[in-house]
Formats: sequence, C-alpha cells, structure tokens
Amino acid sequence: MPDISTLAILSIALPWAGAVLIWLVRDRQPQLQHALAVVFTLAGAAAALAMIPQRSEVNVLDFPLGSAFGQVTFLPDGLAVFLAVVATTIGCLAVVFSVDYMKGEKQLGRYYAYVLFFIGSMVGLVLSSNLLLIFVFWEITALCSYALISFYNDDPKAVTAGIEALIITQVGGIGLLAGALFLYAYQGNYDVPTFLAGADRLPPNVLALMAFGFLVAAAAKSAQFPFQTWLPDAMEAPTPVSALIHAATMVNAGVYLLARFYPAFEAVPNWKLAVVSVGAITALMAAVMALVSNDLKRVLAYSTVSQLGYMVYAIGAGGIFASQFHLLSHAVFKALLFLSAGAVIHAVHTRDMREMGGLGKQMPLVKVVMIIGGLALAGIPVLNGFWSKELVLEAGHEGGPLWAWLFMLVGAGLTALYTLRFLTMVFYGEPRSGQHVHDAGPAMKVALVPLALGTLTTWLLAGSFGHFLGKALPEGHDVESTGALLLQVATAPTTFVALAVVALGLAAWWQRARLAGLAHSLRGIGTMASNSFGFEAINRAVVSVTEASAESLRTTHNGVLNWNVMAILVGLVVVLAILALGGA
Amino acid sequence: MMSLSLPLMAAVAVLGLLGIGLLGLLVTRNLIKVVVGLQVLVKGALLALLLAGRLSGQVQTGQTLALTVIVADTIVSVVALALAVQVRRQFGTLDLQALSTLRR
Amino acid sequence: MNPILALTWLLLLPLVASPVIYLAGRISFRLGATAAPARWLAVLALAVTGVPLWFLGEAVLAGGPVSLSVGAISLRMDGVGLVVAVTVMALTFLVSIFSIPYMRGEEGEEKYYALLVSMAATMVGLGCAHDLFNLWVWFEAMTVTSFLLVAFYREQRGALEAGVKYLVQSAVGSALVLIGIAFVFAQTGTLDLQQVAATAAQPTPPQLLAAGALFLIGFGVKTALVPLHTWLPDAHSQAPSGISAMLSGVVIEAGLVAMLRSLGCLAPAAATWGALLLGFGALNMIVGNLMALRQTQVKRLFAYSSVSHMGYMLIGFGVAVGYGIVNGAAGGFFHLLNHALMKGLAFMAAGALLYSLHVARGSHAPLTVDDLNGAGNRYPMTAFALSVAVLALGGLPPLSGFMSKWQIFVAGFETRSTGVELLVIFAAVNSVLSLAYYAPLVNRMYRHEPSAAVAAGRPVSFLMGAPLAVLTLLVVVLGFWPGLVDFITHPAAVHLVSIFSSGAALAQF
Repeated sequence: MPDISTLAILSIALPWAGAVLIWLVRDRQPQLQHALAVVFTLAGAAAALAMIPQRSEVNVLDFPLGSAFGQVTFLPDGLAVFLAVVATTIGCLAVVFSVDYMKGEKQLGRYYAYVLFFIGSMVGLVLSSNLLLIFVFWEITALCSYALISFYNDDPKAVTAGIEALIITQVGGIGLLAGALFLYAYQGNYDVPTFLAGADRLPPNVLALMAFGFLVAAAAKSAQFPFQTWLPDAMEAPTPVSALIHAATMVNAGVYLLARFYPAFEAVPNWKLAVVSVGAITALMAAVMALVSNDLKRVLAYSTVSQLGYMVYAIGAGGIFASQFHLLSHAVFKALLFLSAGAVIHAVHTRDMREMGGLGKQMPLVKVVMIIGGLALAGIPVLNGFWSKELVLEAGHEGGPLWAWLFMLVGAGLTALYTLRFLTMVFYGEPRSGQHVHDAGPAMKVALVPLALGTLTTWLLAGSFGHFLGKALPEGHDVESTGALLLQVATAPTTFVALAVVALGLAAWWQRARLAGLAHSLRGIGTMASNSFGFEAINRAVVSVTEASAESLRTTHNGVLNWNVMAILVGLVVVLAILALGGA
Repeated sequence: MMSLSLPLMAAVAVLGLLGIGLLGLLVTRNLIKVVVGLQVLVKGALLALLLAGRLSGQVQTGQTLALTVIVADTIVSVVALALAVQVRRQFGTLDLQALSTLRR
Repeated sequence: MNPILALTWLLLLPLVASPVIYLAGRISFRLGATAAPARWLAVLALAVTGVPLWFLGEAVLAGGPVSLSVGAISLRMDGVGLVVAVTVMALTFLVSIFSIPYMRGEEGEEKYYALLVSMAATMVGLGCAHDLFNLWVWFEAMTVTSFLLVAFYREQRGALEAGVKYLVQSAVGSALVLIGIAFVFAQTGTLDLQQVAATAAQPTPPQLLAAGALFLIGFGVKTALVPLHTWLPDAHSQAPSGISAMLSGVVIEAGLVAMLRSLGCLAPAAATWGALLLGFGALNMIVGNLMALRQTQVKRLFAYSSVSHMGYMLIGFGVAVGYGIVNGAAGGFFHLLNHALMKGLAFMAAGALLYSLHVARGSHAPLTVDDLNGAGNRYPMTAFALSVAVLALGGLPPLSGFMSKWQIFVAGFETRSTGVELLVIFAAVNSVLSLAYYAPLVNRMYRHEPSAAVAAGRPVSFLMGAPLAVLTLLVVVLGFWPGLVDFITHPAAVHLVSIFSSGAALAQF
C-alpha cells in the first residue's frame, strides 16, 4: 500500500496523465480515448479511496516551488479526502456516462482531456494546504469549466456562456487572491494549518478583509447571490459536464472554502451574518427561478444554486457538519438528476420540457432513478436529501436569524413544488415530441444505478461521516452515532415544520388548477424570475459600458504622427509637473 | 565676461533649437520637414551635451560625446530619408495625413 | 573560460558575425544560388554565442559582476544584464530558426539575418552598459537595427508607415534622453552609473529630477509607456512575425532595463521614480487592455496586449524601486522573461498561421480573428501553442504568466500600503478583463467549421513548428515550477534593489 503522500499525488496525477495521453492519442481512435478516460478516472478514484484509512491531520509532502510561491504541501484530512473521493468517484461515473453520451462527437480528445484535467485539479484544490496552490487549482478548475461549457464552440451561446462563467468566477476569485496575498504579507508563507491555528495573530482589519474576500470568491464559485447568473447559462455544456462540474464538484469549492476557513473567520464581526444572508437569499431566489423555467437543465441548474444556498446558509449558522452532509447528499442526487436528464435529452434532442412528456414508457429505468433523485431533492423521507436538509434547517434554527430560517422553509416548499413540476412535465402526460425516442445506452445505465443506490443509502453513513470529518470540524462539533443523529433529526420540531411545508408544496402542485388565481396574481414575480431578477441586465450593462469605453478610447488613436509626438510631449510635461508639485 | 555669457547663450540656443525642432514635429504635415525637425531637435541635444561638458569642466568628454551623437544621428537621418523615398513611391505623397492608415 | 574573455566573445561574436552573414548571403545570392548560407550562419552564430554566455553566466552567478573596459566603453555584466542577455539570446535563437521558412526567398533575406544578429548583440550590450552615454549608444544602435527590420517589407504601405512612425517617435525619445544625459553630466561631471549615484546630493537637485523625467519619457517611448505607446501597435503588427516576437519579447523590455539603469543613478529620489512607475503601470494595463478588446487583427491585438503586460512589469519594478521589495524586482524580471516566452510564442504561432494562410499563398492580407476559426482541426499543434500562449498571457494557471504576475502581486501586498494593495487588485481586474479578448481566440480555433483561409491554408513546416514546441513546453514547465528561474531572477532583483536602496529607504520614513 503506497503511503498517503504518494496516494495524494497519484489521485491528482493519474487523471492528469490520462488527460495528456488522451490528448496525444488524437481523435482518430475514439474507442481508445473512451477506454483511456474510463481507466484513468477509475485509477484516480481508487487512489482517492485508498486515502480514506490513511487520513492525516498534518501536512504531508514538502516540495519548494520558489521564493514567492511557498511549498507544495497537502493536508489530506477528513474534509479533504471526503471531497477528493466525491470528485473522483462522481468524475468516474460521469466519464462512464460519457461513453454513450459523447459517442460520435468530434474533438473527443479535447473533451476528455479537459474532464480529466478537471478531476485531477479538483482533487488538488481540496488536498492543498498552501493557499497559493489552492488558488492555482481554483483557477484551473475555472479554466476547465470554461473550456467545457464552450465545448460546442460553433454555438455562440455556448461561447458566451463559457466566457461569462470564466469572467464571473475570476472576478470573484480576486477575493481569494487578495486573501492569499494578505496571508503571505502578514504570515510570511501560505500555510493554511498555521493560519487556522492562529488567525488572531493577523491584524483584525486584515482578517476581516480576508474573510469577506473569501466570501466573495466562494459566492462566485458556488454561483451564490449576486454572482448566480453564470451557472444556469453554463448549461450549454455537455450534460455529463454539467453533472460533474456544475452540480457535484466544482461549484462545491466555494462551500468547501468557507467550511475550511470557518474556524479562522468565525469571530470576524458580521461575517457569519453575511454568509447566512447570501445563502438564504440565494436559496429562495433560485427556487423561484426554478419554478418558472421550461428548460430541463436550467431548472436543475437553478435548483443546484438553491441547494448550494442551503449549504452556505448552514455554514453561516455554524452547522459545518450539516453543510458538508448536505453537500454529500446533493452531490449524489444532483449528479443522478443531471445524468438522467442527460439521458432524456440525448433521447429527445431537446431541453425544452414543453416538448417532453410521457417518456416514462420508453425509458423506464431513467424514470425510476430520476424520480428517486427528485424525491431526494424535494426532501422526502427517507432519502438522503431529507436527512441532510433537515440537519441544515435545524442548524440554521439554532445558529441563524429567524428571517433566514423562514426563507429556507419557504425555499423547501418551493423545492418540492418545482421538483414535482419537472418530473411531471418530463415523464407523465401525453407524449409531445413526435420523434422516435430510444432508451438510455448501457454505459449510461451503468453510471446511473450506483448514484441511485447512493441516493437511497448515503444517509446511513451519517455517524461515521461525522467521525470521518473529525478535526476538520470546528471544536464542539462532536457528532454522535448514526442512530442517535437520525433519532435527533426525526424527533426535532423543525423537522415536522419542514415536512409540513414540503407537504404544502406537494399539495400546491396537486391543486395547481385551483390555485390558478393565486398563480395569476403572482405572475409579476414569475416574470421577474424568468428575467433572473435583473441580474443578467446588470451583466449586459457592464459589458456594454466596457465595450463603449474601449471604442471611444480607440477613436483617440488616430494614427497621425503629429499627434503621436504631441502625446510624448504631454507625457513629459505631466511628469515634470508631477515632479515640480511633488517637490520630492 | 565672455566665460559667463557663453554658457548662457548656449543655453538659450539649446532651448531655441529644442523648441523649434519640437514645434516643427508638431505642426508640419510633410515627412521631409519632419526629418528636418528631428535634425534640429538633435542639434539642440548636441549643443546641450557640449554645454554640459563646458559646465562640468570636461570640455573634451563633451566633444567626444557630441561626435558620437553626430555619427548616430547621421545614420538615423539616412534611414529616415530612405524611408521617405519609399513612402513617396508607395503612397505617392509625403503628407502625414495620408500616412495614417494604421489607427485605432 | 575566463569571464572577461567570455564577455568579450559574447558581444564580439554576433557583431562580427553580422557582416559575415550579410556578405555570405549576398555573395551566394549573386552567384545565382539562394541566400541560404545567411540563414544557417545566423543560427550557428547565435548558437555558438550561447557558449560564452554560459560561462559568463556561471561566473556572474558565482562571483558577482564582471567588468570590462575598452577605451571609453565600460561594460559591467551584473545580474540584471544577465537576465537581459539570457532572454535575448534564447528568443533570438528561436526566432532565427522560425525565420528560416518564414523569410525564405524574401528580397533582402541576408540583410534580415545580419540585422537580427546584430540587434541581439546591441541588446546584450545595452544590458551591461555601465555608463550613461554607453547605454544611450547601445540603445540607439538597437533602435536603428530595429527600424530597418520593422520596415523590412519596404514595398508594403503598412510596413513603411509603421517604420516612419517608429523612427520619428524613437528619435524624439532618444533626443530627450540625450538632454537628460547633458543634465546629469553638467551637474555631476561624470557619466559612470555608480559615480553619478555616489555624487548625487540629498535632496535631489531639480536638474537631476528633470534628467530623471527625461530618462523616464525618453526611454519610455521605447518601453511604450502610455501615452507614448502609439508607435507600438503599428510596428509590432507590420513587422515580419519573427521581428514582432523580438520587438514585443525583448526590445521594449530592453527599453525598460535602460530606463531602470538610468534612473538607478538618480537613486536618492527612488520613492518618486517608484511612484511614477506604478502610475504608468496602471495606465498601461487599462489602456492596453481596452485597446486590445475590440481589435480584429490578431497581431495588432497582441501588440496592445504587450502594452498592458508592460504595465505589470512596471508595477513589479515600481514596487521594487519605491519600496525596496526584492520580490517586486524578481517578479518584474520573471515577468520580463516570461513575457518574452509567451509573447514570442504568441507572435510566432500567429506568424505561422499568417504564413500558412496568407503569405505562402502570395497574399499580404493581415491575419484577422475570423481567420482563426476552426484552425484547431487543421493545425492542431500551432493552435495548441497559440492557445497556451494567450491563456498564459491572460494569467491562467498552470501556465507561467500566472506565476510571474503572482510574484508581482505578492510584492505589492508586501508593501502593506493600501494604495499599492488597491493597485494590485486593479491589476487583477485587468487580468480578468484581458481574458475577455484572449479567451474568444481560443474558442474560435476550436470551432468545427473552418474559415475560408484555414480551408485553403498550407501546412506549417517543421522548422516553424519546432520553436513553438520549445516555447510551449517552457511556458507550461515554468507554470508548474516557477522556482526554476529563481536562480537568475533573484540575484538580478537583489542587485536592482541594492542600486535603488539609498532612496527606497526614504519611503520607510
């Protein structure tokens, strides 16, 4: 058995090596490319799983990068290994799914190379304990995400969406960048454990800037308010990519960042409130948007945004365990939902739910697993989504403000409502597409079944999951056994309130005909929601202002030599004037 | 009195040459005149070097510098005039306004 | 090899080789053959020059600066000069190989190689000039050789126009530098960089401040400080692609080194110079990026991107000069080296496409962004190289551009000054803005539907591809292991900071 540092390197390097090999094979041998992708992701997943028994609470590996870049160090503790396992196993399933989904696509090498490059980088992101490296991997995942969103480069919508995602996450990433730079300037290195152990050694204002910088970065990466617009647009990506990057792994990086650094920032005034607010506003707003969209993948994207809001909310309320447990549940059931949605879209060649319906007969397996995923999303007992969502709500009730808790409750009801809506539109009613529909391919089914089983069972791991995270959780967060935990959830008053609200949401869909009047009066909100509450208009305005200023600047470059010489003189005069006034 | 007024005169001449040279560069639309303007400008700089040699009491160094500058400046002028000839051939004019196809 | 001998050979070899290359090419051409001997002689001369550079580098890194005086010429190869020499020789060597297929059969091919080799020599000389006037002479020699190379296609209107503008603006700049030299000479009676610094009084007399302003603006024309940058997009886009790579990769950086050297002798006012460099840095970044944003010609876009990258270097050096932070200078030198690699790669990859899509088919049309559509299928290696180049320029890890920008940013935060920290954030925002024009280039290349030009394009020859492969590899390796070049950037940075330390210390008060 290799030791932990070797395993950490392997779990990053294996997918990367696979990426390089696939790229070298070129597109003449698609079968070989599929095979390489599956083999190398499987190997990566094996390496990540092998890390489980060898977790370490201290840094492993120590390789100098150069004067201003610190050391390559990894901290494979419970939190990190957990997320590495999620990234590699779901990555592996997404790749298996792709064998069918991407069959016959051009430029397959580019697709797999980026997917595998992403998987390795995601593992690197969670394992690194050098803040510079965290930022490096953070940006690499953004690069892969951009490249895969705009995989269909001939489609201008895909290109725009990819660049939008890249730029928004990069703008947010500046918060993380500033944090890392502050850490180096005041601590002299980038070591995260050192920082977490004694964050109070930094000046309070610097610590506060770091805390809010990290929140901005996390919000951008996890598509939280006010950066949420990029994720729904990112649905132009091939569906396995949406499942892997934009549901199960990369978008969790923001949540991971907040959870990892929670012990350091906990005491920063108003920071927790800000985190709770971001989470609560996002969760509710995205749930409303999910309710009005007719694009199957966009509905799932909004729902991802909303569920990420739950995790962020839980962190703000101090419920690190709840947030990570929900992350686990969500990664599994949302990957399941996306992949089964991918099977549906692959079959009917549209993402518009109004053209679907009655698909249950042709694709029975997909129907069953997607309903399992949907019920978990809605928070129906005893699926994994139920337990983790109740834990989040309980943590929020204890540690967060009441208004935010009410937001989350309403959100839970809306979640149930939109889940029923999309399940019905896809699988029930009269078939609306005239096309011949074919069932999911064998590789697709191979990928779907484990995820469905996971959705049914991961909640049983609650207790051991708590022990697993261990010291990664803040102090005073000892988690009881599974039984005690589940009993606690099952008997908590908040659970019953939440269940009632969920039931209300389900009933609302049942009685939707009678509620038409109410729906009519809420049409204003619906219109606003389908316009993304104006955030896309803001994006557009920023773009057009930048372009307009670029154009007007260009007119000043008139290409006449006299003016160019004039500019030199003006420069000289200005510098002389500055020197004269500065009196240095 | 000669020793006091000579540097002063030279300084005035330097400023005059620089001013004329730069003004020429700013207002003329003819490429040949631009080259002339450059020449005047460099001659001003040349005089400034000589003046500096005089002021710091190292006249000879100043002269060495000036000679080197003259050589360099001649090369630049030759290249400039060669380019001007080509411009006249290719564009059919020496007007700077016509010589502004590369812009924005 | 004796270090002094090595320094002599380093300068002498290319300077002697240059006329030999010209004559060999000319004679061969006259005898009815091609100018081929010129090509191979140039590559050989540059490769052989690597030998003295190697020994000299070892000596400088181990034992400090190496000095050499011949008559009035005083040279001193220190860490800063070494960074310049290494960068210049490496890029010139690759450019000479790239040029073999690119310039084959052009009229005056032998002239091209002779000028290329001598331009490299002048830049190495500029890097180790130890006297203000010597510095100017090397600078002027570099400028003159580059005029001829920019206007190499003298039958083409664009190249001529670019050459004229470049010449006139550079000449104005060098006249300003001369006046600055006159000020320093009159005030201190010496031109030796160290002696000037030693005699300078505190507080700095206005004459020397004026000299500093003249150096800043005079060399600033070559360095493309905004608003003195207007020659750059014309010259860089109209020159032959190899020369574009040289101009963006090393010539403007040589201007920057000359500026830093000349300001170094006015070190007591270092805080002021630092502040000015930071200000120009901010201006360069934003103007370069905004101008690049809407360009439709690939080479012109890269030219404006050079303006903005100069801004990053200015910030690194500004922090080093004004605050005495070693990481600033190290980051600046790292970025200088990196920019030579990245922009060299970008221009050469674009040049390879320009050649295959247009030049080889007898067209003088510029390479537009639309021409890139679908290039990835037909030219996988070239398109990959170009993608790596632009993503590295945009500062995405794991490519080298990210790392050098990072080191500059770190230096900015090490000042613990709110103003500089905000400037770093501004620089980071600019990096993101630059992706708005880099990223679409990559998207275009990986479309399925090829542009008309790509569909009719010729293959890229091996000799053009080889330098691209080398540079791509370097950009990726340095991105994973930035410490690889520490051994050369760090001594240079320490040296630069020590030059300015007398004034930077003031900033602490």
